[in-house]
Amino acid sequence: MAFDISTLDLDAIERREAAKHKGSTLKLFAAIGFALLWIVPFYFLAISIFKSSNEYSRNPPLALPEGIAPLWDNVTRAWELGSMGQAMMNSAFYGTVGASLAVFFAAMAAFAITRLDIPFRNGWFMLIFAGTVFPFQMYLIPLFFGYQKLGLLNSHMGMLLFYTAICVPFPTLVLRNFMSGLSREMDEAARMDGANEFTVFFRIILPNTIGPMTAVFLLQFTWIWNDMLFSTVLGNRLETRSIMNALLVFQGSYSSIGPNIVLTAALLASLPSIVLFFLLRRHFMQGLQVQQS
Amino acid sequence: MDRAAKDKALLDRIGIDQIARNARARRRGQLGLALVFMSPALILVVGVLLVPVLFNIWLSFTKWKKFTGFGEYAGFANYERMPGNPFFNEALINTAIWVGASVVFPIALGLGMAMFFRNLRGAETFKNIIFIPRILAPTAVGVLWFYVYAPDGLLNRGLGLVSGRDVDIGWLYSDATVTPAIIATFVWQTAGLVMVLLLLGLAAIPKDPIEAAHIDGANRWQIFRYITLPLLMPTLLMVTILSVLAGFTVFDLLWVMGANYPGQRSLALAVFMYFEAFQKGSWAFGSAVAVIIGLVVLCVTWVQTVLQGRVDRMTR
Repeated sequence: MAFDISTLDLDAIERREAAKHKGSTLKLFAAIGFALLWIVPFYFLAISIFKSSNEYSRNPPLALPEGIAPLWDNVTRAWELGSMGQAMMNSAFYGTVGASLAVFFAAMAAFAITRLDIPFRNGWFMLIFAGTVFPFQMYLIPLFFGYQKLGLLNSHMGMLLFYTAICVPFPTLVLRNFMSGLSREMDEAARMDGANEFTVFFRIILPNTIGPMTAVFLLQFTWIWNDMLFSTVLGNRLETRSIMNALLVFQGSYSSIGPNIVLTAALLASLPSIVLFFLLRRHFMQGLQVQQS
Repeated sequence: MDRAAKDKALLDRIGIDQIARNARARRRGQLGLALVFMSPALILVVGVLLVPVLFNIWLSFTKWKKFTGFGEYAGFANYERMPGNPFFNEALINTAIWVGASVVFPIALGLGMAMFFRNLRGAETFKNIIFIPRILAPTAVGVLWFYVYAPDGLLNRGLGLVSGRDVDIGWLYSDATVTPAIIATFVWQTAGLVMVLLLLGLAAIPKDPIEAAHIDGANRWQIFRYITLPLLMPTLLMVTILSVLAGFTVFDLLWVMGANYPGQRSLALAVFMYFEAFQKGSWAFGSAVAVIIGLVVLCVTWVQTVLQGRVDRMTR
């Protein structure tokens, strides 16, 4: 199609383009201002861990540290006084083992619900999913007494048992939705060739579900790592305490020890989730998307 | 022989009853197998989560005695005690404030930022910065902000620098400022998630109606008000419900920043329940408060299901 270029109002187009450009520069500055506001607490955290207690109280809170030497002292004191090594080991154990078991059990249940011919298919699912409906407050008192009676209070096994159970329902929802979208042709073909349901599950369904399983594993691991409440109720001992509980105790009982050291402890406790987020951001965002649906 | 006739011949040969029996037998066989697959999940959820919930409900109708333990039926006595308890009333009011604030501020901010960052070049970095607080544990966030709000903390010293005078407001120690201060921390932590969820919702909105409206001369506000907002409703509904539940059951931030000091402080219902049960030993009363929290959560979830169904029908 041919058209006469002189019919175009080039000045108007240029004006519009310029306005657009100016608008986006303004927007960029607004965005930077907003991000700065959001980042100030992080900056405060990042510089505080490089200050000695004396320097922290002497200098303005946003002033750059005089050197990086006090960092090592802060870390060792936070680590030792807060017993963070033990707590990190505990949380790593609860998080990896608990979330793995929970996701695996959820995958098994989702397989039965989507692939096997059973009555009340939806009823079984609702029974498992009911575990997400109630607020945590309803579990606290009964679990405390039940654990006391069974001798599970303040034991690693008791903590693991609870963390595994609480992490089962949500992955069951996600994996059920995913598996019901998986094509049935492959597993029907395998069944024709004489594969039993266990073979179908382990050889066909599981390998095809690794993506969503990783995503929900990360979500559940982070949940366990970040949990403070259930550790204070069910495992409030030095040997069984979770990392966030240890941080809480450290902040409460050693508040005289200096903000720089408690802040260092807070950063140490958060490092694993920060590192995981940046390494596996794609999986996290995928996890958010499944959380939404 | 055509298909129908073939099927009929098969039916005549083995009989419809036999086919039904076979199908039933197959189902039973698969049910056993399914139970094997479902049993770990079922046992864990029922044993560790659902049975305790029932036990909690039962406990809330009993009386707790110091040496004999529970067991004595008390009817609604624990529930009737609630309205007369000044700490409970205070907790109730604070929880209402929390629910309102955790809906209004994160969603207003999140929606504003989502609209703002949607078409901005290089917005990825900004989005990540706003989102990062969300990946930290509430406990760690609480510790960080505890020192922001401390009498000699970041906020007071910042205000002192601006005003030129010494400022020593005990943000977390006075009843008037403690709830707004912790709500600000909550907004800092959660607005990023709300923004990301709304951005996902915005990305799913088709471009055609917006372009059509643009050509018809609609201005940006009209497009937002009459096209984007209605199409964003399902996402907004989900985010609202998530926010209501988060605000209603908030605990970690409050415990770290405001409750973890001598004496009782009714910052919200979840804190009140924990304090009554685990620090005062009023187990039966505490479990009744937990039941109230559970009832409200169930109601909110039910409302969500109803509204979700209505929205689904509207958009279909």
